[in-house]
Amino acid sequence: MALLRPSSRTRRRGADGDRIWTWLMLPGTLWMTGFLIASLALVAVLAVGTTDDLGNPRFGFDLSGVRALADPAYTEVLARSLGYAVLTCAICLLIAYPVAYTIALHGGRYKHALIAAIVVPFFANYLVRMYGWSVVLSDDGPVLRALRAVGLADGNTKILNTGVGVVAGLVYGFVVFMIIPLYAALERLDVSLIEAGRDLYGGPVRTFFFVTLPATRQGAAAGLVLVFLPAMGDFVSAQLMGGPDQIMIGNLIQDKFFQGQNWPLGSALTMLLMLVLLIGMFGYLRRTRKDEAEARR
Amino acid sequence: MDATPAVRLDGVSKQFADSYAVHRLDLDIEAGQFFSLLGPSGCGKTTTLRMIGGFSDPTEGSVQLAGEDVTALPPNRRNVNTVFQSYALFDHLSIADNVAFGLKRNGVAKAEIRQRVGEMLELVQLSGLADRGPRTLSGGQRQRVALARALVNRPAVLLLDEPLAALDLKLRRQMQVELKQIQREVGITFVFVTHDQDEALTMSDRIAVMSEGRIEQCGTPEDVYEHPASRFVASFMGTSNLMSGTYRGGAVALEGGPALPVGARTGIADGTSVSVSVRPEKIWLSDFEPGMSVLSGVIRETVYSGPTTTYLIELAPGVTLSVLEQNTARARMEDRWSGGETVEFGWRPEHCLVLA
Amino acid sequence: MTLLEPPSTTAPSRPAVRARNRRGRGRADRKPRVLIAVTALFFALLYLPIAVVALFSFNSKKSLTVFGGFSLRWYRAFVHDDVLLSSLGTSLRISLVAMAGSVVLGVALALGLVRCRTRLGSLAGLVMLVPLITPEIVTGVASMLLFKGLGVDLSTGTVMLAEITFSISYVTVILRSRVAALNPEVEEAALDLGATRWQAVRLVTLPALLPAVLASAVLIFALVFDDFVLAYFTTGVDPQPLSVRIYSAIRFGVQPTINAVGTLMLAGSVCLIALALFIPRLFGRRGGLDILSGE
Repeated sequence: MALLRPSSRTRRRGADGDRIWTWLMLPGTLWMTGFLIASLALVAVLAVGTTDDLGNPRFGFDLSGVRALADPAYTEVLARSLGYAVLTCAICLLIAYPVAYTIALHGGRYKHALIAAIVVPFFANYLVRMYGWSVVLSDDGPVLRALRAVGLADGNTKILNTGVGVVAGLVYGFVVFMIIPLYAALERLDVSLIEAGRDLYGGPVRTFFFVTLPATRQGAAAGLVLVFLPAMGDFVSAQLMGGPDQIMIGNLIQDKFFQGQNWPLGSALTMLLMLVLLIGMFGYLRRTRKDEAEARR
Repeated sequence: MDATPAVRLDGVSKQFADSYAVHRLDLDIEAGQFFSLLGPSGCGKTTTLRMIGGFSDPTEGSVQLAGEDVTALPPNRRNVNTVFQSYALFDHLSIADNVAFGLKRNGVAKAEIRQRVGEMLELVQLSGLADRGPRTLSGGQRQRVALARALVNRPAVLLLDEPLAALDLKLRRQMQVELKQIQREVGITFVFVTHDQDEALTMSDRIAVMSEGRIEQCGTPEDVYEHPASRFVASFMGTSNLMSGTYRGGAVALEGGPALPVGARTGIADGTSVSVSVRPEKIWLSDFEPGMSVLSGVIRETVYSGPTTTYLIELAPGVTLSVLEQNTARARMEDRWSGGETVEFGWRPEHCLVLA
Repeated sequence: MTLLEPPSTTAPSRPAVRARNRRGRGRADRKPRVLIAVTALFFALLYLPIAVVALFSFNSKKSLTVFGGFSLRWYRAFVHDDVLLSSLGTSLRISLVAMAGSVVLGVALALGLVRCRTRLGSLAGLVMLVPLITPEIVTGVASMLLFKGLGVDLSTGTVMLAEITFSISYVTVILRSRVAALNPEVEEAALDLGATRWQAVRLVTLPALLPAVLASAVLIFALVFDDFVLAYFTTGVDPQPLSVRIYSAIRFGVQPTINAVGTLMLAGSVCLIALALFIPRLFGRRGGLDILSGE
């Protein structure tokens, strides 16, 4: 085998493989490994840790935190969180698609301005926006008043302190993450493709289902992941829009670390959350891999 | 003994993954020459240039500049400068600062920098634009800045990587002449990479024609054009009538056609598969001289293009030659041959090349 | 994080539009009224909460539902509220430090990631992705545990460290596509003219990246200033960042002062983000949303 290698005239430096890029990369990578990866590992370790008499966390190997996850009280919260997150994804898709479609295909020269008008407030303060949203959805707020005026709601209808409120909060919080990839996909879409679709399939509805929708599937998949991740981990919406019956896994985690002081259980819950998200991510990656493989063929 | 070459490549190879971009290349470039590396895209000419410049490490072999082995030296320690295909100007610096960049890096005194930059901008006719930014310039002007930025350092060798490729035809012709003039004026060795054979022929003192990582032929423009050493060179340099056949006793029997008398060739055994190459402009249609090979064929197509007319003449089924005639002899359309006519044509024996 | 690619400028070509208009007797080519109505409703709901907060920040009454007349009393209350003012100062300090730290580390990381083709490079690329696929609550919990585990008391400093960690990825994602889009010949030209690798990066590459670096810095400042979850988990008790104060205020009965603070914060971050989008234009390049782009 050694014969196959070119004579190893080791040069101190090579034009092709410069050390400088490694040096540039190193500080940031070490920093992130040190803080992030180490801290995530710590969560995993503490999930099987214990607490001493004073409530301080101790390392060790104890599965009580992990076992506690099987408690129906927690599985119920997990199921609810999943349900809310999935529902949020679906609603975001339903809202974001027409909006992104309208702006991308009918926005004309205002489309960049319109997208900026969506993105800019979304990157502004999350808490203040959510707080404003809770005021809008409150019993005397403009939304319920408008619904009552057209007879779609009566005096007893509530949005806050219900599951509807929590999902409304999540949707409001993260819908932009759906709009951006969809808009990018639709914007890239060749208009002549739609033209061709019209010729081939005739009606706009058929064209939409046979041409536009498949072309934007990847954008939609990316959007679903981008909404699912933060929605699953959110605790602000459930706190502001929901009541004690609508808490999500994020609220449980927050509670275990701040009020309950049961860190091993909190860590176990955090790991559970990460596990759910990783499964979601994995599904997405497999899906896109398959799509790419098909596209290449 | 010749003087030490400005550039010497000694068995240089560049391997990417499992294929060779450049394969065991030996090349000497004399000082003061305008030297072109010519070939189609992917032939390894740019890789060769990058190895001379130090941007790419040879997998094998050594690169010498003026007799000194520089294989292990980084670009900033080689006495060569490059004009990049994209010009690679520094957009955040003014034209003058672009040109001064190399001098500043090399610690030249301020007053001298100002003087040399001024002279150089004058040489490339950009004196008035010293304080402008590169983005405000036209393609031709950017090209001149790139040239000035490299030349101001007075390198031993200037490397040019298809510097004219992005310019439109008219500007390209003009820059070809200018570049050649500048080279003569400064006397620096130019190594010029191009895929445009016209460009190489017009500008170069010597040309190396490359294909698939090897040099097919290296010589003066006349050499390479008039005496192509291989079928590839003959077809790549301009247009050529290439006909394959079998050599046998002073004639080549074409596939599915007649035998062409080519005269006795030394070094070619009977029964060898060969290609016969005749340039279209070397074929005569009248006024034959004694000793010429004269054949007859049928005109299939007449293409008039201003100064010249091209005829496609069918010698035998499947064997068509293109013949180029200056429009000096026949001034009017009706004087020209038209399709279907049978004509005689011929060439001097020395213009008929037999390529093994 | 976001998936926006640089908006392409290719509008439907003229002939294509004309062709559509010619075909355009069918229903398909009427203005899509329903779609436009949905979009308009979306924009209304998007801005309504923001408008409500802004409107009631000028309310002369304490109510959040009845507008009693225009007044600046809540802004005056904010200006005289020492706790909120010190929180504002804390937030500004955190944002500045996190911005500086993450921009330095993130730009270097982006340069290295794009150019480095070693296995270490791809590993670093994976590490960089972790914060982007981890919900903030997990990052927050993990950071808090790390500090507690190391015996470090939570303080403004720990918030800074956590925010830097989280922000590096953003800077890297923004810068990476810019670095990849750079013409490699420009850096080679610098080497060719006698610069060392470091000089080439300093004198040529960084100036070329300057607009994107500035834009990402402004964006990070705004994101860190507005960030709540990470700050909430890693802050100490006394000088608390403004967003954490707002959180407590919202949870435990709203004081209208928060409307004023919230309005100021919204206005501030909208300005900063708009600035980030606009910075490339100041350098004569196409500005726009592509600064928010990633993979």
